[in-house]
Amino acid sequence: MNEQKQNKARVIFHLDMNCFYASVEMAYDPALKGKALAIAGNPEERKGIIVTSSYEARAKGVKTTMPLWKAKQLCPNLIIMRPNFNRYRQASRQIFKMLAEITPYIQPVSIDEGYLDVTEVEGNPIEIAKKLQADIQRNLHLPCSIGIAPNKFLAKMASDMKKPMGITILRKRDIPTLLWPLAIEEMYGVGTKTAEKLRKLDILTIGDLAATDSYVLKRLLGINGERLKNRANGIDPSPVDPEAVNEFKSIGSSQTLPEDTVNERELKQLIQVLADNVEKRIKRKQAAALSLQLTIRYHDRKTITRSKKLYEYIDSKNEIVSIALEMLQSHWNGEPIRLLGITLQDVEEKKNIAQQLDIFSYEKEEGKEKISAVIEKLTKKYGENPFKVLTEEKQENEPRTSFQKDFLDDYKK
Amino acid sequence: MRFIIQRDQLLASVQDVSKAISSRTAIPILTGMKIEASPNGITLTGSDSDISIESFIPQESDGNVYVEEIKPGSIVLQARYFSEIVRKLPEQTVEIEADANLKVIIRSGKAEFNLNGQSAEEYPQLPKLQTDDSFTMPIDLLKGMIKQTVFAVSAMETRPILTGVSVTLQGGSLHFTATDSHRLASRTIPVEASNVEFANVVIPGKSLNELYKTLDDSEETVEISVTNNQVLFQTKHLNFLSRLLDGNYPETSRLIPEQSKTVIQAKTKDLIHTIDRASLLAKEERNNVVRLTTLDNNQLEITSNSPEIGRVSEEVSVQSLDGEELKISFSAKYMLDALKAMEVEDVKINFTGAMRPFIIQPVNDDQILQLILPVRTY
Repeated sequence: MNEQKQNKARVIFHLDMNCFYASVEMAYDPALKGKALAIAGNPEERKGIIVTSSYEARAKGVKTTMPLWKAKQLCPNLIIMRPNFNRYRQASRQIFKMLAEITPYIQPVSIDEGYLDVTEVEGNPIEIAKKLQADIQRNLHLPCSIGIAPNKFLAKMASDMKKPMGITILRKRDIPTLLWPLAIEEMYGVGTKTAEKLRKLDILTIGDLAATDSYVLKRLLGINGERLKNRANGIDPSPVDPEAVNEFKSIGSSQTLPEDTVNERELKQLIQVLADNVEKRIKRKQAAALSLQLTIRYHDRKTITRSKKLYEYIDSKNEIVSIALEMLQSHWNGEPIRLLGITLQDVEEKKNIAQQLDIFSYEKEEGKEKISAVIEKLTKKYGENPFKVLTEEKQENEPRTSFQKDFLDDYKK
Repeated sequence: MRFIIQRDQLLASVQDVSKAISSRTAIPILTGMKIEASPNGITLTGSDSDISIESFIPQESDGNVYVEEIKPGSIVLQARYFSEIVRKLPEQTVEIEADANLKVIIRSGKAEFNLNGQSAEEYPQLPKLQTDDSFTMPIDLLKGMIKQTVFAVSAMETRPILTGVSVTLQGGSLHFTATDSHRLASRTIPVEASNVEFANVVIPGKSLNELYKTLDDSEETVEISVTNNQVLFQTKHLNFLSRLLDGNYPETSRLIPEQSKTVIQAKTKDLIHTIDRASLLAKEERNNVVRLTTLDNNQLEITSNSPEIGRVSEEVSVQSLDGEELKISFSAKYMLDALKAMEVEDVKINFTGAMRPFIIQPVNDDQILQLILPVRTY
């Protein structure tokens, strides 16, 4: 793919929306501008944690994932809102549409960030970035930061360096001065666990990591060690892949209970809710899954995950519920449960699945076959499929979390 | 209780009975094996509450003495240890003795084991079947019927009734049907049971698999008795009791197509070998799909294609090929299971269309029927 481009120096943008949810709310209701605003999971229940907050709130010490009560302590006039995922999704879709006008090489990473490969785009990259930032601000009233670099990793690091409304260029020659002094946990791809391991080896900055022997890192972190070292040296060959969002391997949903419980009825109800969630999402993808993973977090935060390989692909709520319940029965140790999660794994698009027909229902499928034969005929006659599949899409309550990524290719529609 | 017994006879019985014993059971004593000595011989019992097996070792049979010096009594021993011990004892004879304190001594040659037993009174009573609804058939026929059907039961608990084999006896013919909803296997035989009839008896597939392993290949007969919730298979020295599955078995006879559009007759072995080769490149998690295409001159083409791995195609000659052209995809595994179960040289396959079930039968025998649903490829 893009062989030509690989040889030439690339120009990659990383676009990162600033305080995305809070900014969207402020764009929606300008009265909120300049105020300490936080978006929180569920204000009434204890699972209420800060999802994001405005810069005014951050100035008071409010941080993402902080429990609500603590945030209120730090910032008594904090305005707290529930998330309106539909608003965010709509805004996100518009942003990615704007990106798509610049280049088809876009890789959405989450609802509020993505990469662009602008190597082939005519014009000065800095001017392109400035115009993009200004357009998003003018049309959607949303601030963003853009990192410009020769690869994805450096672009990501660069977009983080100046917020809000920053445009940062990170060239290879800037690495020793801009990248290496940063603490190791600032590095994209290094989580708390990895940072802990690295600190034990006295690797405290990205510069330290860049200078560490790759054999040592491989022993410590496996293949990822080598990758991190390369990145610390400014090497990241991974392409901006517009198809990456389509490579979904799992679809999951989890939820904390209002109170730790051993009540089977409550657990069953939660499983219904979770199954309903994943069903909607997998149907949206026109896919089906071959494994199901159940996550149980107990009152003491001890968490177990168990997966089950299935005999056939599933995509319906009933199937998900019955398998999840069966797994809960066999793996629950009877202690109070704090959280349950269901994840469908080995997800495959239906068009790639050979569907084993069922003796009790094949006649229905046969009907579909006749329809598609007719459609094929008409398509040949008129050049294009005259029919459309109407998918029923409930706008409410969807998406439910900022982690789910199954709508990121919407901008293509 | 005390007796001296031939080790080979004891071992055979212990192994039979062990098939019913599970180490994971809700009733702890069922991890044990019950041993009962009576003047006529020794009875061993094992059960996991779904299946119960009783094996009887007669004191003597056909002039051979198997058990001597019998002092009646009973005891329950941990099955795991008992069967291992019996297997490894040094001599041809074994002495087993239990005292009133449930202490058990097993002696053979110079080896002596002291074991703690449990009281046989705590062992659950096996249900006594009270029924006149029994009939008799040759063991080898029963084993054949099991082998030709039981592989098609469902392995999934989503529809529990399909994990069993449906058994009906009507108008003097005994009929087994198993289906996991993707394929169906059935077999009919005539039996001499003038006054017994039953339907909707569903025996767990697991029970029939164990029964198959427990029954010796012999010319002898087995007596089968059916009640509401139990079925009992009795041979000369063996009682095999299984619970039945609850619920209504779906009506399957109407699902079997009566017409056909394409008919193939072929050597079973040729088909097995060709499909087996094609399935080498068929991925299991994608249903092991192979594709069959009819060609001219009594030729079929079998192909399989996995984009990541590669492609295979092979032509195979058949004895006859009549009717419409056909391209159909199906699970190689189901096809191989069905062809192998047939145990005949020549088969005929009746297809009714690419999206409809097809039927495999021996050329001149419609008492065996294997039905497979094709795979829809998008």
